[in-house]
Amino acid sequence: MIRTLYLGWRYLVYHRLKTSILVTSITLILFLPVGLRVIVDQSSKQLTARAVSTPLMVGSKGSPLELVLSTLYFRSEIPETMDYGEAAQVADSGLARAIPIYAKFRARGRPIVGTSIEYFAFRGLRIATGRQLARLGECVVGSRAAEAMGLEPGGHVVSSPESVFDLAGVYPLKMNVAGVLEYSDTADDDAIFVDIKTAWVIAGLGHGHQDVSRPEAAGAVLSRDDENVTANASVVQYTEITDENRDSFHFHGDLSGFPITALVVVPLDHKSSAILQGRYESEELSTQIVRPITVMDELLDTILTVQSFVVAGAVIVGLATLASAALVFMLSLRLRRREIETLFKIGGSRLAIGTVMVSEIAVVLLSSVVLAGLLTLVTREFGSAAIRALIRM
Amino acid sequence: MGTRRCMVGFSLLATLLVSSGCSGPATTEVAPPPTPAGDGALSVYVVDYPLDYFAKRIGGDRVAVSFPAPADEDPAFWSPDAETVLAYQGADLILLNGAGYAKWVEVATLPKSRLVDTSAAFGDRLIRVDSTLTHSHGPEGEHSHGETAFTVWLDLGLAVEQARAIKEVLAAARPEHAADFEDGFSSLERDLLAVDTELAGLAAEGRARPVLGSHPVYQYLARRYELDLASVHFEPDEFPDEAAWSGLEALLNEHPAAWMLWEGEPLAETASRLRDAGVESVVFDPCGNRPPEGDFLTVMRANVDNLRPVLTGE
Amino acid sequence: MIRIEDLKFRYGEGDFRLSMAALEIERGSTVAFVGPSGSGKTTLLNLVAGIIVPQNGLIETDGVEVSTLSDAHRRDFRIAKIGLVFQEFELLEYLTVLDNILLPYRINPSLKPDLSVRRRAEQLAEQVGIADKLSRFPRRLSQGERQRVAVCRAVLPQPALLLADEPTGNLDPLNKDRVLDILFDYAGATGATMLAVTHDHDLLGRFARVIDFKDYHELDTTPRTEER
Repeated sequence: MIRTLYLGWRYLVYHRLKTSILVTSITLILFLPVGLRVIVDQSSKQLTARAVSTPLMVGSKGSPLELVLSTLYFRSEIPETMDYGEAAQVADSGLARAIPIYAKFRARGRPIVGTSIEYFAFRGLRIATGRQLARLGECVVGSRAAEAMGLEPGGHVVSSPESVFDLAGVYPLKMNVAGVLEYSDTADDDAIFVDIKTAWVIAGLGHGHQDVSRPEAAGAVLSRDDENVTANASVVQYTEITDENRDSFHFHGDLSGFPITALVVVPLDHKSSAILQGRYESEELSTQIVRPITVMDELLDTILTVQSFVVAGAVIVGLATLASAALVFMLSLRLRRREIETLFKIGGSRLAIGTVMVSEIAVVLLSSVVLAGLLTLVTREFGSAAIRALIRM
Repeated sequence: MGTRRCMVGFSLLATLLVSSGCSGPATTEVAPPPTPAGDGALSVYVVDYPLDYFAKRIGGDRVAVSFPAPADEDPAFWSPDAETVLAYQGADLILLNGAGYAKWVEVATLPKSRLVDTSAAFGDRLIRVDSTLTHSHGPEGEHSHGETAFTVWLDLGLAVEQARAIKEVLAAARPEHAADFEDGFSSLERDLLAVDTELAGLAAEGRARPVLGSHPVYQYLARRYELDLASVHFEPDEFPDEAAWSGLEALLNEHPAAWMLWEGEPLAETASRLRDAGVESVVFDPCGNRPPEGDFLTVMRANVDNLRPVLTGE
Repeated sequence: MIRIEDLKFRYGEGDFRLSMAALEIERGSTVAFVGPSGSGKTTLLNLVAGIIVPQNGLIETDGVEVSTLSDAHRRDFRIAKIGLVFQEFELLEYLTVLDNILLPYRINPSLKPDLSVRRRAEQLAEQVGIADKLSRFPRRLSQGERQRVAVCRAVLPQPALLLADEPTGNLDPLNKDRVLDILFDYAGATGATMLAVTHDHDLLGRFARVIDFKDYHELDTTPRTEER
């Protein structure tokens, strides 16, 4: 048998080009639907993993998809803001934990995410170098953002102005990098995290200044009477919070009216989850509650529908390719008729002649199957990394 | 033909080889349980000494109370460094005085779910103070910060409320020890009310004369024990300047106080000059930070003794 | 070596008929088949080789009644006992010269190769003058070289019978002689019988016996002496 297979092998080697083309095309048609399925499965898992770990989300009424994408991936349009007081309401209900997110600003293209310290435990984020946020004006940077921007603990990053025309509005804040997070393989790697109060400072809702009642500030004082000291505009609105001025920072007004873009809500149990969702059913509320997994599933249904079409197309093309390959094999056999006859005439056994002829097809198919299998394994290993890179783009 | 069947077979084999078990994602709809209430003491961080004392009295060995402020600083204005803030972050519970006491909390990052405002239950009874300083910014116009007085524990009835809040939050965190916490609280309540009763008894005689506070820290004391109080800004260890003395004189015209309450022993010269102005000095230690000797109760009892003449009009 | 009795053969429903009352060929003789096209020369070779089977009659080759053997047995018999040489050489284009020569040992398990086979193949190649071309493919050989390879292939299993169908039909005069020399040398050296179909009357003198298929219904099979 081996001796006969050797003949088949020599045939394939002699017709290298034909063999390569056949193996390549059959490999591709075997691999494509399978590889596609693997990639889509992995993308779905990627996309849903984060949604699965985020049970509920509260946001201003509007597009649920926008809310979910901006809160989970810090992408998409910034949704309408809602009141920070909503967090207290949810927490006070005893039904869930509420983690506020205020992700409105950016620094050099990367999202600045104002949140509470509970966010890090919730997402399982750990400090790699430096330390956790401790004080106003500090930030903690995701590993990829830190690498891209060359940040390390002790460094600084400045928030970008909201818009070029927003001259009297948002003040760029120079934040101190307290720490860099470990790589988490999620959107958190590309973000800059600050305490929500720091984000409010960027929004211009909090500020610190020189103590205008003390004599040194006399130059900055517009008028002074017994009760009231009015400062003139030369009182500097700080763009950096340092140990010297930190204590002077304060917020005007009731914090519960301050803006946030979303609440990540973690119910205590299924019953609490149901009750909580029920509370948001009223049409009159300006807020909505969404289940991120539901939103992402709907998005994925669309993707899967597209996938079905592509797979159907691939299958049709595949059948055509297989038909062509079959034709090639049949023509090949016909061309080798004379060879078969010669082998017969000189006394080749039926089995041996059959083996020589079939080995062409067998080796091509076997190689294609093996290659398709290898390609699929490679896709499974590295496809997810490629997908993640694409999702982040 | 045989080759066709072979090809179909191979495709199936390929698909089988390659279809890995893609199980669907596990759905976690609910929160993982909060930090397990294990064995071992509950880690409690506080922002002032009274809370430290109360928590230890109530919690006993079930709690490990930490109060990192240095003994020589006023905890209300103390600013911890980043490492200390991180230590607070690691606590199971962070007890706040409330009423805006520890300014540093407002500019620190702390886990909200573990913050306890011990004055939350009596927020409507907080005393608002028109700040000695209002300030405004150009575009927004004039406004005041409307500060709140924060030495609530000097009203011992409110101190009991604070202790009660501590007891409740400890019991919620360690329900299995609720009975112990109840015992601790009852014992503390008795002691606090004893002091409260004594002071109230003295105040009831109605012979209290107007008093001055060397700093605006006695508002709750004044309210509870019916003192007619006005405040200045005198430091115990600095001799006030002439502007301050003139201010005092002017104040004394409208508010003929016979006593000045000091947080600590004033300078002899200051006391002497005050005496000349008809004002005796008396120490009432708010005990915001650790006393060099004794504890909260011993300090309060000493305060009661010091205050006796003020209340009885001796 | 070869004995035929009462042979009747036709291809399917066609007109062609081959009938042979009797034929005997002694071991070791060299016989040429001549005659017009379609007279059944190649057919007789195929019958003798067991490639086709007659409807009637007996064919005995090297003591074996090939006409009654099964297809598998006939193949096995053929590969071991009969060496075939074709007008068109019939080499496998995708095999090297050496692999072409060794071909019989790879297409029938009844022929078992060992080291001596390979050595013999190389020696044969040397004898016919193609030892330096063993790794070449047929397309890079001349006609004469190809037929020499084919002859090596045919004689490698040391068959007792050589059947050559127009072995020199596609060769120039120089190569014709060379190839025939090789065939006759082998026959002479091993005592093998050789049957050759040829249209080339110039070659007939080398054969011990010539059988004319002119009259394909009847066959004059009387052994005769050399005819020129």
